[in-house]
Amino acid sequence: MENMANKVARIPNLVDWSTGEVRLMSAKCNSCGTYFFPKEHYQHRPGCSREGVEEVLLPKKGKLASYTIQHYPCPPPFKTEKKITPYGIGLVEFTDENIQVAGIITDTDLKSLKIGMEMETTTLPMYTNEEKQEVVTWAFRAVQ
Amino acid sequence: MRDVYIVGTGIHPWTGFSEQVFADFAAVAVEGALKDAGVEWQKIQAIMAGIFIYGGNAGHLSGQYLESIFGETGVPVVNVYNACATGSAAIRMAFNSVAAGETDTALAFGADVSPKGFLTAKSDNAVQDRDVIRWKMGGMPNPIYWALECRKRMEKYDTTEEDLALVKVLMSEYGSKNPDARFKKPYSLEEVMNSVYVCDPLRLFEICPVSTGAAAVIITADPELIKKADKPVKINATTMGSAIYGDPTIRISALSCPATPEAPMLSESYSASRQAYEKSGIGPEDIDVLELPDNSSWHYLVYLETCGFCKEGEADKMLRDGETKIGGKLPVNPSGGFSSHGEALSAQAIWQVIECANQLRGRGGERQVEGAKVAMAQTYGLMGNSGTTIMSI
Ligand SMILES: [Zn+2]
Repeated sequence: MENMANKVARIPNLVDWSTGEVRLMSAKCNSCGTYFFPKEHYQHRPGCSREGVEEVLLPKKGKLASYTIQHYPCPPPFKTEKKITPYGIGLVEFTDENIQVAGIITDTDLKSLKIGMEMETTTLPMYTNEEKQEVVTWAFRAVQ
Repeated sequence: MRDVYIVGTGIHPWTGFSEQVFADFAAVAVEGALKDAGVEWQKIQAIMAGIFIYGGNAGHLSGQYLESIFGETGVPVVNVYNACATGSAAIRMAFNSVAAGETDTALAFGADVSPKGFLTAKSDNAVQDRDVIRWKMGGMPNPIYWALECRKRMEKYDTTEEDLALVKVLMSEYGSKNPDARFKKPYSLEEVMNSVYVCDPLRLFEICPVSTGAAAVIITADPELIKKADKPVKINATTMGSAIYGDPTIRISALSCPATPEAPMLSESYSASRQAYEKSGIGPEDIDVLELPDNSSWHYLVYLETCGFCKEGEADKMLRDGETKIGGKLPVNPSGGFSSHGEALSAQAIWQVIECANQLRGRGGERQVEGAKVAMAQTYGLMGNSGTTIMSI
């Protein structure tokens, strides 16, 4: 297990590792059944009472629904200490939750990417902040 | 509702970054439209302005700034923003004002100066402005979204990298003949295929950059102005659409999308185009010339399907068979498209309408679609914005 104590997400309320597993923070509407990511990005079914929105974690694993390889650095405010280009961006499907989530692909041979392959949620170190914490974003990698 | 016509159009040719202020570009386009229509400024009874989001107070009140240049007359001035469909919103408001009889003659315009450097987040508040997350943590500039959809399409249908390149070949051929286009170099299939990937499978020449440009139209129901106009163009319908719940498209700014579709892809454009077909009684089979938003080669293909010009997965065949060429069954983007212009956010939808009007008025020059009687301009903006305008002569 990675050292997760001194790690912080660049923006809170998106990715959680408190259970020991890295998982995305979603919310489910118990009235219309829709899952949201980010969790406050409500997209209810028209006519939904919008009652009973409950915070949930998405499963750790999903399958790759699409991907691209970005060959140029993303402009600021995006920043990473190490050069990450070219990097993959994947759209990972959590089928039971009826949601696909986009994220950077890490620790994976980009040539091996194939739609349908199993992916798992992880974090990607971006930089170290003034408090000497490792600032991370959520990411996906191929399941070994 | 009464019949409403476009009687004057004006464009400031598309160009790159400029130190000049947006209002100067706007003034060139508006002056052109007034001259084309033979209308005095004092005849304009409403100004519907697309806002220039990078222009601060001036950009957000672009209509007032423009009005002060030509002389303030006290007419209603409304400033509107609908992302890249901003110009559609301005035209729709001008049309509705005239059609309803609130005014007889209205101006719609948009002007945009390309920001220096990159497009990026416009605020730092990730809770309020979710666009911030994809820039700060996602590493996701706009073309990523198009590439993710393009890859899905290539997996589902037989869309090839040659198809994507062929779109640029066609667009660059038409752009080279358009004096108002920014990019005038024609490209061969080989040159496009050899251009670098920006986000695989999309290459550098298959995505459009940001540009500077301005466009203006004068819309009227005044019989005198219609009579003296050089070939007035009737607006049969001008509509806007927003997204529909269950749309599977990963929308620019968003970080997620539904896995199982319950609505068409690009549902905002599905909505806008179907409203226009219904209101005008004109269907895709009646359209002689189409301007669609080719932000990337993927858009060119998918928009033929979204707007009902063919079934899903059949656009590639239309392209390969030459049906979308000038002289083909449905000439698409004789202007050279966004590919030859680049995006000038608040102006581009108006420029698309002007290209359609030019085609109907026989002003297409080397790009003229012979005998064009009915034209459609289709646009698209991020976060569920779209507009459709159907015109005829
Ligand atoms: Zn709901």
